[in-house]
Amino acid sequence: MTRQAELIRPEGPVPYGPANEAMHRLAERRLAGEIPDTVILLEHPPVFTAGRRARPDELLWSPDELAARGAEVHRIDRGGAFTFHGPGQLVGYPILDLGATPDAAAHLRRMEEVVIRTASEFGVSAHRREDVQTGVWHGDDKVCAIGVRLMRARVTLHGFALNCDPDLSWFDGIVACGLPGHGVTSLSRLAGRPITVPEVAPVLERHLARVFDLSFSEAPFLAQAAAPV
Amino acid sequence: MTTISMPQLGETIIEGTILKWLKREGETIERDEPLFEISTDKVDTEVPSPVTGTVSKILVEEGQTVPVGTDLAEISDDGAAGGGGGQATGAAPVGGPTPATEEASSGTAAGVEPPSEAAPAASTASASAESASAVAEGSAAEMPAVEPATPQGAEATATSATAPAPAPSGGSGDLPDRGPRSRILSPLVRRLADEHGLDLSRIEGSGAGGRITKQDVQAAIDSGGAAAAVAAAPAPAEVPAPAPATAPATSPTVAAVQPAVAGPGDEVVPISHIRKLIGQHMLSSLETSARAWTMVEVNIDHLVKLRERAKDAFKAKHGVNLTYLPFVIRATCDALLTHPEVNSELRGDEMVRHRYVNMGIAVSYDAGLIVPVIKGADAMNTVGLARAITDLAGRARAHQLKPDEIQGSTFTITNPGPYGSVASLPIINQPNTGILSLDAIQKRAVVIDDTIAIRSMVNISMSWDHRTIDGEIATRFLARVKQNLETWDFAEDVAI
Repeated sequence: MTRQAELIRPEGPVPYGPANEAMHRLAERRLAGEIPDTVILLEHPPVFTAGRRARPDELLWSPDELAARGAEVHRIDRGGAFTFHGPGQLVGYPILDLGATPDAAAHLRRMEEVVIRTASEFGVSAHRREDVQTGVWHGDDKVCAIGVRLMRARVTLHGFALNCDPDLSWFDGIVACGLPGHGVTSLSRLAGRPITVPEVAPVLERHLARVFDLSFSEAPFLAQAAAPV
Repeated sequence: MTTISMPQLGETIIEGTILKWLKREGETIERDEPLFEISTDKVDTEVPSPVTGTVSKILVEEGQTVPVGTDLAEISDDGAAGGGGGQATGAAPVGGPTPATEEASSGTAAGVEPPSEAAPAASTASASAESASAVAEGSAAEMPAVEPATPQGAEATATSATAPAPAPSGGSGDLPDRGPRSRILSPLVRRLADEHGLDLSRIEGSGAGGRITKQDVQAAIDSGGAAAAVAAAPAPAEVPAPAPATAPATSPTVAAVQPAVAGPGDEVVPISHIRKLIGQHMLSSLETSARAWTMVEVNIDHLVKLRERAKDAFKAKHGVNLTYLPFVIRATCDALLTHPEVNSELRGDEMVRHRYVNMGIAVSYDAGLIVPVIKGADAMNTVGLARAITDLAGRARAHQLKPDEIQGSTFTITNPGPYGSVASLPIINQPNTGILSLDAIQKRAVVIDDTIAIRSMVNISMSWDHRTIDGEIATRFLARVKQNLETWDFAEDVAI
């Protein structure tokens, strides 16, 4: 059955810290049943995030180098290794209640499915690589990183990061996802033409709604985030 | 007293690591208050206590990895709440009825309608395909060279049909543990075993329910199990062949398996692993499906002219050749969405109709035949399809396809036309309902408005499964493909 959900679509890049905080606050409110399922779709300014499995030596740039390039580094509570977020990348944080018998694996598969279908509309055939890692791939290159944490074993946190047309040289700063032998790519590179976040967002929204069986209404970002818990 | 056990966070997640205990022994805890944090290969989560009470015993230390359902801690009720004893799991009931789906064997969780759900892993075939070493000699054909039949998925069907469902925890205690679960293999384990020629049935699984883990395989490799397994395998080609082909059939059943005998002028060539797999897939498809066949004639004249006009500019602009296949796929996708019965598969007593198209395209390469899949083909335009075909066919011939790229087709197209066939009767790519054959485009004399005209014509046919559809649907479907190809204006598609 289609469930009502809210879609938060902040304008312009949102710094990682406030976005992460807002996501956690929304998840707590979702857990308390105060809000419906919610999805945030946004871009971040350049930031490297380290999951629980990230090893320090997988961050290849020195603190000075990072500062010179204007990138933040955040250690966060999701699983997985290092990844990068930045302009040209469409980041989605689905905050969904998976219920009392959560199927986290199915949640991951659905996010992959959303991205695969979105990519196909831009003429890109993308695939899962269950032999390697969660995420969406083209051959040996990852086009979308996926990392999830559950709050109290039922509400989803974090999500996916789809490379539309980011400057891929940012990924030189890390061993992305802890996989040295694999590369990173973008929809633009695969399609051979520029494909921007504003172009991709509405298509991805549509597939999110269909795959997760949600009916979206728009909700403001700041009002939601700032509301008392 | 309540026993807390490792929760199940999804069918395919079979173990978890205790990251951190948030309460110590002797501490009190409220219902729904986080008790511990776990990490699985998919996600991390903190797990709340199902009851209010005192943590009386912690049974598994931080950093340990244990199977789903393992007892982790005991919480005493403090004599406060009623109810008393019993087994509770952190968040999800473990012994609950786990749907016996084939996804368990392919490592795919049940999604809403992900393509991977459509066809379970054919990873054995893919791994072998990748491991074959030689590179295609490069057929100069513009379109992916194809053969009128397709193997992938047939094996998957067989696997899913025979793979026993995971035993509910606590059930059927007299079965040896390594029974059902040991058949569930991760793609990594499968590939590792394939690469080293290991017989997985000889490996003792140490994972949950006897499941064979990567470590088990590694241990077997390290202990020389690979060499032993290979050595133990019979090498038919080298077996001396005592019985001539004309030998009286003292035992009729033996005749079938007698090694080949080379007469003068004959050459005995061992059959490759892939060749054997393809053979098995084809046979099993024929044994499974009630194959029927229908053909239509399509006037493709305007499309031939359009392609002649557009192909150079298309190649210059998009970097890939413009063949007829993308147009045919577009026309077919529309017909599949119009007639979802044709875009369906049988699962037991039910028919699963797909509302998307994952188009398998049969590609021949040096090792045989493989069917890469264009995911979401129904959403793609001609340019996207042309790119996807070039990419997948190219990597198929270079042995670079990934397992997921040859799984999950909902329909298949084979394209023997470039070799000159005018009608082909392909074998259905299980578990699809149909396979469409695109044969050679030829100028023919046709009657149009009672005059004889010369037009570029093509025969398009489909092998279809009479278990899922009947001739009416098959013919309506093909008529729709024909109508699309004859009436759609593709000029905008190729942007000239």
